[in-house]
Amino acid sequence: MLSQIVSALGVVVGAVIACSAYFYFSNKILDLALPVKDGDIRAASRNLNRRALVRPWLFIGPALFLLIVYLVYPVVATFILSFYDRTGLQFVGLANYKWAIGDREFRQSIFNNILWLAVVPAACTFFGLVIAVMTDRIWWGNIAKSIVFMPMAISFVGASVIWKFIYEYRGGNDVQIGLLNAIVQTFGGTPEVWISIPFWNNFFLMIILIWIQTGFAMVILSAALRGIPEETIEAAVIDGANGWQIFWRIMVPQVWGSIAVVWTTITILVLKVFDIVLTMTNGQWQTMVLANLMFDWMFRGGGDSGRSAVIAIIIMLAVTPIMVWNVRRANRELKGH
Amino acid sequence: MKKSFLMGVAVAALFAGAASAADLKFAPGQDAKFNWKSYDEFKAAHADLKGQPLTIFGPWRGEDEAFFQSVLAYFTEATGIDVKYSSSENYEQQIVIDTQAGSPPNIAVLPQPGLLADLASKGFLTPLGDDNSKWIKDNYGAGDSWVGYGTYKGKDGKEAFYAFPYKADVKSLVWYVPENFEEAGYKIPTTMEELHALTDQIVKDGGVPWCIGLGSGGATGWPATDWVEDLMLRMQPPEAYDKWTTNELKFTDPAVVAAIDEFGKFAKNAKYVDGGVAAVASTDFRDSPKGLFAVPPKCYMHHQASFIPSFFPEGTKLGQDADFFYMPTFASHPELGKPVLGAGTLVSIAKDSKTARAFIDFLKTPIAHEVWMAQSSFLTPYKGVSTEAYANPQMKKEGEILTSATTFRFDGSDLMPGKIGAGAFWTGMVDFVGGKSAEEAAGEIQSAWDGIK
Repeated sequence: MLSQIVSALGVVVGAVIACSAYFYFSNKILDLALPVKDGDIRAASRNLNRRALVRPWLFIGPALFLLIVYLVYPVVATFILSFYDRTGLQFVGLANYKWAIGDREFRQSIFNNILWLAVVPAACTFFGLVIAVMTDRIWWGNIAKSIVFMPMAISFVGASVIWKFIYEYRGGNDVQIGLLNAIVQTFGGTPEVWISIPFWNNFFLMIILIWIQTGFAMVILSAALRGIPEETIEAAVIDGANGWQIFWRIMVPQVWGSIAVVWTTITILVLKVFDIVLTMTNGQWQTMVLANLMFDWMFRGGGDSGRSAVIAIIIMLAVTPIMVWNVRRANRELKGH
Repeated sequence: MKKSFLMGVAVAALFAGAASAADLKFAPGQDAKFNWKSYDEFKAAHADLKGQPLTIFGPWRGEDEAFFQSVLAYFTEATGIDVKYSSSENYEQQIVIDTQAGSPPNIAVLPQPGLLADLASKGFLTPLGDDNSKWIKDNYGAGDSWVGYGTYKGKDGKEAFYAFPYKADVKSLVWYVPENFEEAGYKIPTTMEELHALTDQIVKDGGVPWCIGLGSGGATGWPATDWVEDLMLRMQPPEAYDKWTTNELKFTDPAVVAAIDEFGKFAKNAKYVDGGVAAVASTDFRDSPKGLFAVPPKCYMHHQASFIPSFFPEGTKLGQDADFFYMPTFASHPELGKPVLGAGTLVSIAKDSKTARAFIDFLKTPIAHEVWMAQSSFLTPYKGVSTEAYANPQMKKEGEILTSATTFRFDGSDLMPGKIGAGAFWTGMVDFVGGKSAEEAAGEIQSAWDGIK
């Protein structure tokens, strides 16, 4: 424990020093290489211009380098690997893609992922918006907001462990220690093994992510709602609009941009969902999703780099359009201001 | 001042390390339950290797590493060889990296015959020779089976004996509480037919016979694979079992489906299992045996490997509060003998040297087994050891199951490719218990296997 802390501290301090040293000394070297002397004005101004050209690259260089090494190269390597066999040595063409289309588990994962995409972003945004609007009106709104936001601080695995106890099932006549089954039993129902009911168990897993992410949606949307000019709402009230109409016709259109941001952010998160499924079911009882399937093929049982690469590429392809749209929309908004 | 103090501490630590290495847990020649003669003979035969190096790489860490070190101390004491043992959290990957990088240890110890076969086929292992395979055959219980698990094809395509079995686990055990059996007047079944009769009798008496829990987080389902493998060995000849683990015998074969169905007879009968069928897949395997100890008992029997007592309630005295019997065989299949399902670690030479050969010779001395046996968590099929050396009567009984076995088979799911043995087979068993028929479940496992061919 102590040695980990010491080495972590060492890395943090060392990295900060190394970064500062890099910027300081590279700048110094640049200044020395392209001197600005008082005597020759033309040379000095030329050197100044050159410095201005080189300096950004000098500063952005390390980031660019890391981006290529840790992002661009792996993507290219993964793409190439997806055309090779399990060992990554034998070229097999499109065989891995063909396999993916025909594989039952793969299709199951796609179906489950679509299910997640349809439910989780919508539910998070909806609950986040509703909670944001409602908590604005009450005196204990900030306390309520803090409570809703709190699950954000819990890791996905930690949250899954908490929810495992909510879905816990005890057989026979044992006392149910799972919250959900305890409630069901109190009202005279029969306890169920919730996470092993095919199809519906997907929703029980989604609830965990909704529980975590609603706080995020709420915070962003709450800030956006504050930005709505009071006059528009007042005008609507004077015109005789009821609460429902104010919400849908006045508030929602004005925070539309923020809703889109929240929605797309959570959509990207959902495409990568992994920890919850791994902790709760590991894809059993037909809850497999793409990220878990990829992990399964790569790290369980010898490792099939070809097939897991195919799945990784598919996840990336699914995420990319949403990313592009998000970035473009953000750019457009920036230009508008 | 401070510096010299630190130096002093470092020196003291060094000496403490050296002193404990030379420490022998049991003084040679004293305790009569150990075979000291074998130790003295080994010592006399390997006196010329003093100071030479030997590196050993193995899976044992933590407590087991300490036990293994205590065994190594005798080897060092006898030969003067400079032994270095190392291990890794990811020992399966590490040994592949080490051998491919050209810096293998002298001795590699692994619990996976499949991985060793892979290393041997790439030419990374040195054959141990026919005299060693003959020795195993003559001196181990079910010796032929053990020789089989150490025999692989080399780089030249020729079969040779590569891996020396050392340390084993037993899985064919049924755990029970003797007191409960006595009170109800139940006798330990000696045949599978009697086990079925006893199961029915318990139901008739108003009890629940079995606790079965397949839950294990992401690995949910594996305890069921042990059941099916055990039943497979009791219904089919060992050759069929071997073919099954390589998929020469398909999962959809009636023989395999019958073994799965036989498991279903226990697990899918609501009257037979504690908590009903729904509880089987969801109960954690670690919680499952606790039903044995409830008052009144929630169940009378629990099928699980030799490691399970560590999950019994605290203070449980083995032999008194809990005991086990050998998972019986069918009286209708006397030709299958007494098969035992289990696992074990295999010792192979990755870089040949005189010291490595000396270490293999050392494993043939009873003392190399007895020292670990006398401490904990070590079973051996070696018939030449003094079973009195076992730390407790339960381990002695488990050891005797190994030495008296006619057939020993490795955990089948460990022999299958990971995607099946640690994936589709688990899921298939969960689906089977969840309501699918044995044919359907087997069909899905088979199609997963077809998918990786």
